[in-house]
Amino acid sequence: MTPAHPATGAATGEIGPGEIGILADFSHAFVASMDIDETVRQAVVKIAEHMNAEAAAVFLLDPLQDDIVCRASAGPVDVVGLRVQRGRGIVGRAIAYNRVEMVRDTAADPDYLGAQKGFPARSILCAPLDTAHGPIGALQVLNKRNGQLFDDHDANVLRLLAVPTALALNNARLMRELVEQNRIKREFQLARQMQKTLLPRRRRDFPLVALNVPAREISGDFYDFFVLPDGRIAFCVGDVSGKGMDASLLMVRASSCLRWAGRDQLDPGAWLARVNDELCETVVRGMFVCAVAGYYDPGTSVVEFSSAGFPPLLHRDPEGRMREILADGPPLGILPGCTYPSQRLALGGGSLYCFSDGVTDVRSAERRPIGIEGVRELIDRVAALSPRARVRAILGHLRKLQLADDTTLLLIADDQQPARFLGGIGGLSDPDNLRLVRKLVGDVLQLLAFDEGTRQRLILAVDEAVANVIRHAYGGAPDGHVDLCLWLEHGALRFELRDEAAPVDPQCIKPRDLSECRPGGLGINLIDAVMDLWYFDQPGDGQGNRLVMIKKLPRIG
Amino acid sequence: MSQGNDCSTEDSQGFRLVRVRGEVDLSWSQRLRKAILDALGSGRPVAVDLSAVSYIDSSGIAALVEGFQNARGKGQRFSLVAVSQPVHAVLELARLDRVFPIYASLDAAAEAR
Repeated sequence: MTPAHPATGAATGEIGPGEIGILADFSHAFVASMDIDETVRQAVVKIAEHMNAEAAAVFLLDPLQDDIVCRASAGPVDVVGLRVQRGRGIVGRAIAYNRVEMVRDTAADPDYLGAQKGFPARSILCAPLDTAHGPIGALQVLNKRNGQLFDDHDANVLRLLAVPTALALNNARLMRELVEQNRIKREFQLARQMQKTLLPRRRRDFPLVALNVPAREISGDFYDFFVLPDGRIAFCVGDVSGKGMDASLLMVRASSCLRWAGRDQLDPGAWLARVNDELCETVVRGMFVCAVAGYYDPGTSVVEFSSAGFPPLLHRDPEGRMREILADGPPLGILPGCTYPSQRLALGGGSLYCFSDGVTDVRSAERRPIGIEGVRELIDRVAALSPRARVRAILGHLRKLQLADDTTLLLIADDQQPARFLGGIGGLSDPDNLRLVRKLVGDVLQLLAFDEGTRQRLILAVDEAVANVIRHAYGGAPDGHVDLCLWLEHGALRFELRDEAAPVDPQCIKPRDLSECRPGGLGINLIDAVMDLWYFDQPGDGQGNRLVMIKKLPRIG
Repeated sequence: MSQGNDCSTEDSQGFRLVRVRGEVDLSWSQRLRKAILDALGSGRPVAVDLSAVSYIDSSGIAALVEGFQNARGKGQRFSLVAVSQPVHAVLELARLDRVFPIYASLDAAAEAR
């Protein structure tokens, strides 16, 4: 490929009122256009007329086919849809070199591809459609009428007309991409909503509590539980390999398979074996499901279960001793005919935690996965809470760190005791009310066995939390609403602070580095230093934020 | 509601002395901040007497930190004197107890010059 007129871009030529007029018409037509294809079609007709050319055309790069395709044409033959290999022809040259190409005699230009659809081009002028990311196509005119030749003035005019054309076509392309992105996003939201409907409804004072936080819009994790006619509770938790739409479709299939097979009250091992055989027939090669399934009998406190490649289960007894229970079979959907042994475990007033690997993969502040050790430590810290508060506190804490994967936690609690309401206060987000908040907290703490120093620090932490709501959630406006409730769980004090402000991103609420001495931003550090655990979330029942802070009661005796 | 809160400034032993009384929280910390910055405006060494402060939160601590940094930037002396136990506990919690020059009394601060 040889450029015929390397210096064309530097050509001179006056731009007259006629060009300004057509440029203004073009820009207006493109801005007002509701149909970019029609507008471009009208534009090429006008370009041909104005340039006094026999034909004009707009070509666009097609990144999928890696060629150049004609999108609009005007002249004796319709060349819309004509494809030219990338880099070939005069149009390919204009795009490749990103400059105006002027061919006064096509017979002498080796790049000329010959007559298209019987229409011979004697002379060609072609300007690239340039954008910030390089040319997206070219604007071409053929054969100046009355036997004349295109000149430098024509080259400048075409270059000028290419500007609004490129802008409009590029905007239209970006708009199409945006619409497509929004469509995909909506579909993911619908898929997420559908997935949510597969999860069991939460039940008050139920010994099984589970929560799922997807890493993206849709989850590859699932859980289910349902009460059998004999009073036992069947449960399963699963984690599908991979992420994205294929994983979520497999999740739907695996969870419905598990539910369907669980209705037959098979032994847990036989239950998993049946689902394994079923999934092996349909699962795409390379995908699999890790799952645990079983029954909990609230009458005897015994859990019977079987695990298929699921992360270790953690049993915590009432004395705080923890034991890991490892999987006894391979993941589901890999090898048909596998057997899965069942295990029995007497909870004896303790709890059994089943969690997907998203929980152990959560990154600590030092960016290392917290691992099973981190989970054990977290379970210890929340052990004094009611089952639902425990699951919420664990996931709330994990959300403060970096969630990398779908995260699911199912807890079977044989030790549930209802929480006791100790006191509460609600009022306007006025700093003058802080004194009342401190008074209430001080009065409640008098009833509990905290030492004076801890009492002072707890009052401070709650004051800081309310002050943060006033200052940050409500931006200092004194007419917002703040509610504080104090609950006594069976071994801990739980402070629950709610507001009705716009949702705040939990990721933004982190302690700051204390080594830098500066005013402000200390409140969260004080809360962090005083409380055993705190987390921040948006309660599911509407607008507003919730901060939960937990302090274990001192051991007596 | 700032009953019982008070903030006064006097000259004593070569210091511009800010005496604070009561509970310093978000509703009142701006008053403390202004008193400290006004005292620093005199260009003289500043001491803040915290003996009668029964409560302080991070907004009050922020006023002290701002005063301290302001003074340090100008090479001016800034001391906390007679720090009450509740204030000391919060300074410790925020690990600021070793950042501020803290003296048992104004006399001690004066001697340390």
